[in-house]
Amino acid sequence: MAMNSTIGKWGRRRWIVLGIVILFLLCAKSLGLTPAGLVPPDETRWERAGAFFKAALSPAMDYQDENVPEDAPPIWLKGLYGLLLTLKFAFGGMSLAVPLALIMGFFGSSSWWPEPRGWFLDLFLRGIYFAFRFLMSLLRSIHELIWALLILSAFGLSPLAGMIALALPFSGTLGKVFSELIDEESRDAAAALKAIGHRPLQTFFVGTLPAALPNLITYSLYRFECALRSSAVLGFVGIETIGLYIELSHEEFYYNEVWTYFYLLLALIVLVDFWGAGVRARLNSHKGACEA
Amino acid sequence: MSSAFELNGVTCRFGDLVAIDEVSLSIAEGEQVAFIGPSGSGKTTLIRLLNTTAVPSDGSLSVLGDIIADQSVESLRVLRSRVGTMPQHLGLVENLTAIQNVILGRGGQRTTLRSIRDLIIPSRSDTEKIHQLLRRVGIEEKLFTMVSKLSGGQKQRVAIARALFQEPEILLADEPVSAVDPARARDSVRLLTELSGELGFTLCVSLHHLELAKEFFPRLIGLRQGRVVFDGAPDSLKDRELESLYELTADEMMTDA
Repeated sequence: MAMNSTIGKWGRRRWIVLGIVILFLLCAKSLGLTPAGLVPPDETRWERAGAFFKAALSPAMDYQDENVPEDAPPIWLKGLYGLLLTLKFAFGGMSLAVPLALIMGFFGSSSWWPEPRGWFLDLFLRGIYFAFRFLMSLLRSIHELIWALLILSAFGLSPLAGMIALALPFSGTLGKVFSELIDEESRDAAAALKAIGHRPLQTFFVGTLPAALPNLITYSLYRFECALRSSAVLGFVGIETIGLYIELSHEEFYYNEVWTYFYLLLALIVLVDFWGAGVRARLNSHKGACEA
Repeated sequence: MSSAFELNGVTCRFGDLVAIDEVSLSIAEGEQVAFIGPSGSGKTTLIRLLNTTAVPSDGSLSVLGDIIADQSVESLRVLRSRVGTMPQHLGLVENLTAIQNVILGRGGQRTTLRSIRDLIIPSRSDTEKIHQLLRRVGIEEKLFTMVSKLSGGQKQRVAIARALFQEPEILLADEPVSAVDPARARDSVRLLTELSGELGFTLCVSLHHLELAKEFFPRLIGLRQGRVVFDGAPDSLKDRELESLYELTADEMMTDA
């Protein structure tokens, strides 16, 4: 009996894997993908790709551009300045996104709904719930680069435009996950507070929300790491972050400079990752360790 | 003496399941009562009926003189703020400190904004009062410790302190000792009955542990399949009645839990 069901599961999995492979081949064919396409068509492309990857071994310690003025800061300082700008955009974007996400996450959650409630109130709350879920889907279904292009064309190239471009899709993702983390929180504490006369909203703000807070913070930290990468990418549409420096050096084929910036960005992301892991460990230290 | 609870033919159904079946009983103010019976006998449902988080499908129930069926949502809420409940899994907010959890005991008597403020900046008088309560339950040094860092027994003390800070007229406790070891269980039950005597609140506890119920409670109410099959003093509880209550021999019962 048990063996049969195991075999049944395996059989089904095999079909799923086969299906995925077929789907991939169909996509590849319709996109005109051939193995030959992976090989650069001519010598110069080969050379360029080779040069690019060879430059990884020798990141620039000085500008490759000979026209850089004498009094320009050294390249590493320029890189660090780019990182600072990248951090500023990421932090600014998240500072806008988190409050927005908290508000949308609240309305996209059902754990503060009163019980019992009449059909009218129920319908009203469900309306709000779906409206906010839809809004959050809309915000995050558009990538930050697209938001940046839309906002830049409307407001021009300004730092605020970059922050808003980051904040909008990030608030959508954060809000969706916030609402789910809040709704998944154990209802034990909320039930206990309700049983001693707490009102539904009161229960939410003093019970459910504080209980969910470590998870909300942990997730926000993770999204901050994502915001750093996105903020760097915004450089490619002209917003001054380290991405802009990468783009400018790349355009001039200064691959060693590109790698200098890459390594600096990598170092920053690794640092933030370590810091985030430390904070997460402290926030979640109560999980598992407490059942003495 | 006026009554804390008055049940008249109370039935509580969840779909097809009859959790409480035509129960009639009366509990006076200041009484100390233990509900005993096997798992699934309806102890938890009875507690939920008494704290009005479940409503009778049939029959009439009054709590502290108020007939439940006549109450509005708001007056039920106010009534609940006068009745303390310690749920089986305690229902503490794990990543708040002991004082923050205890202060929430009075939330039903305070506004939402006041409760939020209480969590962030507790008033001096509340802090002093809670410090005293924690001393009374034996964990005064844990005032600012996060609940998740506490042991099972200490968490239980926080839940007791939260109930005491509420200053309830009745305290309901659902299996308060199911999660702690026997020695601690005995201490906790003793503490609850002592506090009930000192402060004069009615105490109703559901207990799986028959020995403790017999030792500390002057009145036992035995439930089986949602019906009351025994109601009286512990020494009048005969082995035969115990058997019918648990359908086990009394000896097996003593070693259970």
